[in-house]
Amino acid sequence: MYPFGRGVTRLWPYLLFALPMAFYLMFLLGPSIFTVIYSFTDVINIPGKAYQFVGLDNYKDIFFAGNSAERIDSIKRTLQFTFIVTIVQNGLALLVAVVINQKLLGDKLYRSVFFLPVVLGVAVVALIWTLMFDPINGPVNKFYSLFNYSDTFFGSFTNSFGYIIFVQIWMYMGHSMLIYLAGLQSVPKDLYEAGYIDGTTRWQSFKKITFPLIAPAFTVNILLSIIGAMQTFDIILATTDGQFNSRTMAYDVYKETFRGSLEMGLPSALSVVQFLFILLFVIVAIQLLRKREVEY
Amino acid sequence: MTRKLAGLLALCMLMALLAACGGNGANKPTNGGNTPSTTAPAKDKEQPSGEKKVIKMLGWKQSTNNTVIESINKKFEEKYPEYKVEYVTTAPDDEYKQAYKTRVPAGEVDIFADLSAMRLSPSDWTPGAKVPDWQQFIDNGLIQDLSDQAFIKNYNEADIKDGGTYQDKVYAIPAGKVAMGGLFYNKDIFAKYDLKVPTTWSEFINVNEVLLQNNVTPIAMAGKDKWPVKLAAMNLQAQLLADGNQSEFIEGLWKGTSKFNDPDAIEVLEKMKTIQDKYTINGFMGIDYGTLTSYFTGEKVAMMVNGVWEAGAVQAAKPDMNFGYFPLPATDDPARIKLIGKYDMTWYVTNNGGNTEGAIKWLEFFSQPEIYQEFVQATGFLPVQPNIATTEFLDAEVQPYMNNFEVAYEIKMINRDNIGQHLEAEGIHTEYLAPGGEFKTAKELADVQQKEWEAAAPK
Repeated sequence: MYPFGRGVTRLWPYLLFALPMAFYLMFLLGPSIFTVIYSFTDVINIPGKAYQFVGLDNYKDIFFAGNSAERIDSIKRTLQFTFIVTIVQNGLALLVAVVINQKLLGDKLYRSVFFLPVVLGVAVVALIWTLMFDPINGPVNKFYSLFNYSDTFFGSFTNSFGYIIFVQIWMYMGHSMLIYLAGLQSVPKDLYEAGYIDGTTRWQSFKKITFPLIAPAFTVNILLSIIGAMQTFDIILATTDGQFNSRTMAYDVYKETFRGSLEMGLPSALSVVQFLFILLFVIVAIQLLRKREVEY
Repeated sequence: MTRKLAGLLALCMLMALLAACGGNGANKPTNGGNTPSTTAPAKDKEQPSGEKKVIKMLGWKQSTNNTVIESINKKFEEKYPEYKVEYVTTAPDDEYKQAYKTRVPAGEVDIFADLSAMRLSPSDWTPGAKVPDWQQFIDNGLIQDLSDQAFIKNYNEADIKDGGTYQDKVYAIPAGKVAMGGLFYNKDIFAKYDLKVPTTWSEFINVNEVLLQNNVTPIAMAGKDKWPVKLAAMNLQAQLLADGNQSEFIEGLWKGTSKFNDPDAIEVLEKMKTIQDKYTINGFMGIDYGTLTSYFTGEKVAMMVNGVWEAGAVQAAKPDMNFGYFPLPATDDPARIKLIGKYDMTWYVTNNGGNTEGAIKWLEFFSQPEIYQEFVQATGFLPVQPNIATTEFLDAEVQPYMNNFEVAYEIKMINRDNIGQHLEAEGIHTEYLAPGGEFKTAKELADVQQKEWEAAAPK
């Protein structure tokens, strides 16, 4: 009833949480609120400089300025990225997880191999693939040349974004796989035995037993993929640096904030728009995914 | 009751934290306003060695530059033991711009170099133009006025005026000039096939054709970083736009008398397309700037599009290499050949870093002819002080063209705000031409550029 005792000692948990809470308010909630406020102003990154409210001007700039076609392209590209990454990454991860879960010989090794890219970090992954995709001496182009084809990979206007998607999936597939594996381990074995007695095929037992029961893992993975994909900019920065038609919304925010002008209003507005997009997608996804989670 | 108390306690802690944080933030601008000598002692925590006053210097990574600046810093610290120079470097270009944009306003820098001279300042004929960062810094009082400093006189008056003066006051010291509109060439390969340095476009094409006939790849260019492609294009622009008067072309763009799809501008794109399609190494759009020089020193190509600053790196990579430099010719009239370039590394002293006085001392030390000489020799910059010896390479290969030296398009061009990607960063972006890019002809790209220019016009 009183795990921390009675009297003043009861306050300990509150005190312990006060500090993280303060940090949370200061470094996350505070800046977030200021971002929204700044998105309606013409503030520039010089301390002490006065700023004025300019209404929706920054939002208008995003969609109607001279270069707004590029921003709209970024939004389209973000959606494309999100859909492909979410579907392919989860599909592959689920498949690999189910296979590894069959108690294969050396399943621990496979697990670590698939999980390795996540541990490596974006910079190393980008370096690996930049070397693999070296257009002149790279092994992938040597392989392509067997089919009389060659590519400039991260230097190609038409294909670079596809390669970025590939690298992103390669990198985070192991992460999703691990969550699926954890989900698979929690499925009670007796259900399969009961199914076996009833004469289910393998596909049926996957569809009717495994899939519904790993629904929570599925929900977590899909949400993580959507949010992660919509926020991705690090892999883009490290491979093409936003060139060759590979900018996404998140990259635009970064670019406008740190490499554009000193103005902070437009990038703030961009962040707000990006946030709204993520919010919308997450709400829709949760609605759809919650429905199929089952109790057992 | 207890719950209320807990909440109150939490709130108190939060307030204390916020107050501490806010206090720091609020102090910074006032520090900048005061004279630096009085605020310096207050910043004790940034002075690890007790008495020494730290000069915070920001620069970008480039091995030859970094080495010589570190050596200058060492000498400076020997002469002025009361100071300690903390030289922080970031990756070049965009990364560096990001660094100074965040650190200068935050008061974390005493002295920093911009990547080019003051430029792109809006004029009365450029309504709605982008205001450059340096100008915003100066307008908001972050940059120290250097007009009264005695060491200004060490530099050529014209260079200080072009590279460091804004509204009749000197705010910056350009550390040197670089030429960048030419090609490095392998003299041995040229001699083998009896080729001469081309002085006209036809001769240049001929050189390339002869090389191709002998199965030598003529040119290497770094397309992946985009800007190295611009170097060659800008040399063509200087010779072709408005018959060799690119300033007139640029002013015409704003006034509507010249267009990006005028025949002269299209000729620039077409000639770049010829170079890219026919004579440049296959897959150059995937070559990044860092590896470009290895293609040249590895003798995979006969020529390389690059700025003269790379001469040191070429020599370091292959000391016995016999190489030269020539400006890319654009017309068949040898008299019109030009070499373009810019000011490089322009020093600014800030007002808000806490040690303005030390930064000025450093700049004064740097400006002494013997120190400056060391700097120029090491970096391969063209000096902006009189009577300074340059490197052997510059004397032999670049000085002959310096009479026709011109500031590059990217420095002269004043861009519109919210400009599209085919014109951004004051470039012409020929990398958008097929096969690397999406535009099959020069005309198509030129039309899109003109459209973007008009779309960005102030409403």
